[in-house]
Amino acid sequence: MSTRVLIADDSETILLLLRTRLEMEGYEVITAADGVEVIEAMQRTSEPKPEILLLDAMMPRKSGIDALRELRAEGVDTPVLIVSAHQDEMDAGAATDVEVSGYITKPIDFDQLFSRIAELTA
Amino acid sequence: MLTGLAVVGVARFLQQRQDFEDSTARSYQVEIAARTRLSNGVDPAAARAVILNQQHKRQALRDDIGGETRDTALLVGAGLIAGLTGAALLFSGLIASMRRPLEELVEASGRLAAGDLNTRVKIGGLSETASLGTAFNEMAGELQRRAGERDQLETMKDEFVLTASHELRSPLTSVQGFAELLMLERDKLSPKQADTVEIILDNTRHLVRLLNDLLDLARSDAGRLTIKPTVIDVASLVEDPVRTMLSQTQSKDQALTQAIAPGLPPVNVDRDRIRQVLVNLLTNAHEYCPAGASIHVTAGGNAGGVELAVSDNGPGMAADQLDHIFERFTRGDAGLTQHVGGTGLGLAISKSLVELHGGAIAAESVEGQGSTFRVWLPALASNGPARARVDAMDEAAVQSREEAL
Repeated sequence: MSTRVLIADDSETILLLLRTRLEMEGYEVITAADGVEVIEAMQRTSEPKPEILLLDAMMPRKSGIDALRELRAEGVDTPVLIVSAHQDEMDAGAATDVEVSGYITKPIDFDQLFSRIAELTA
Repeated sequence: MLTGLAVVGVARFLQQRQDFEDSTARSYQVEIAARTRLSNGVDPAAARAVILNQQHKRQALRDDIGGETRDTALLVGAGLIAGLTGAALLFSGLIASMRRPLEELVEASGRLAAGDLNTRVKIGGLSETASLGTAFNEMAGELQRRAGERDQLETMKDEFVLTASHELRSPLTSVQGFAELLMLERDKLSPKQADTVEIILDNTRHLVRLLNDLLDLARSDAGRLTIKPTVIDVASLVEDPVRTMLSQTQSKDQALTQAIAPGLPPVNVDRDRIRQVLVNLLTNAHEYCPAGASIHVTAGGNAGGVELAVSDNGPGMAADQLDHIFERFTRGDAGLTQHVGGTGLGLAISKSLVELHGGAIAAESVEGQGSTFRVWLPALASNGPARARVDAMDEAAVQSREEAL
């Protein structure tokens, strides 16, 4: 059974890129367009929960950081990697108050991404 | 008023003089008439008495006018002295009332020129100095308003660069990501297609570098370039970037060597940022030096700090170029830049980063013989001024390099 990864990004192109690369690596991929969809995906009981979340820091409606904060408050302890454009965004995202497994910056270094996912889902 | 006294004195003097002359003239007329009578033999005794009487009268008049003249002269003199003193007092008062506001204006101009845009002067004194003060205050206000506008523009510029850098990153992620995707299936591409994708990737990476550099500069300008220092052993600080660069220098047959002096104190630096500086210096050496050149990295120092130096035996730089080497978008000779992938921002950023660490960066070069870039970082306990120590470091660094070699 392959590892399920939830990816969230407001850009369909980025979602397509991530899905393609992750599926090529043998992962099963669920997508979300914003934080609201992330919460919905995590609340669905009809399918198995993702084992790792890959959330874009900045998304409309609800950011990845805000979604993560809600999930952590509900006791969800799934590992989360935050994808952000640059360091300032991570600093500005005030992600310090919420437990994050790691950060990935854009443009994405896929070798680095795959090794982080492998580590966190081992 | 005192001057008036002198005027009154002079008028009185003139009146007395007139009276004296009139009386004297009348006395002479009486005497001449008496002498005529005397020569005609008419009552000579009476005529003689009149002549004598008139001579006495004129003597008395002369004595009188002498005394009066003296008094008047005294009066005039006193009046004049008093008048002059008054004028002098009035004048010095006038000068003082002009001087104080003027001195304040001079002092305020100095403060304004030194950058204190809150400087204003107290309006006072004569109407001329008061209007000068008003004009000064208006000018200071205008300067302050414009400085405010400029700061606002600077902030907007920084915000713009930060936002633009963010907005550009998503499409760049896609371009780079999909180009890499194509390269994963390189064997399915024709050689020409593979080369095309390689060009796309090269340029994308260049754009990413440019974006990162611009972002760093915008952060630096906005005072938001921050470092997260940790205590690090100098050897590991140097070895890591050197290792990173090895494959690139080897591909150009360049010798990359390092010499780390023993017993260097640990430094308190942001590992990633100093790594960025060293990679920048090494990349420059690698890109500007021809194939077969030598690049040498040294770490030396003393208890006060550590000096990291990157030397090469490449083309070097002319003195006028060396002067501007740490400025933005300054690059090596145009003929060479054709093959150089730098953004022209690396050294400007390196300088900001090193200075943020309380350190200093310097370059020296002899055209045709090579260049040396030195980075000085204060030791853990040292917080002293960086620049003063750079020169002192040179000798120590050279020495330790010779020892290491």
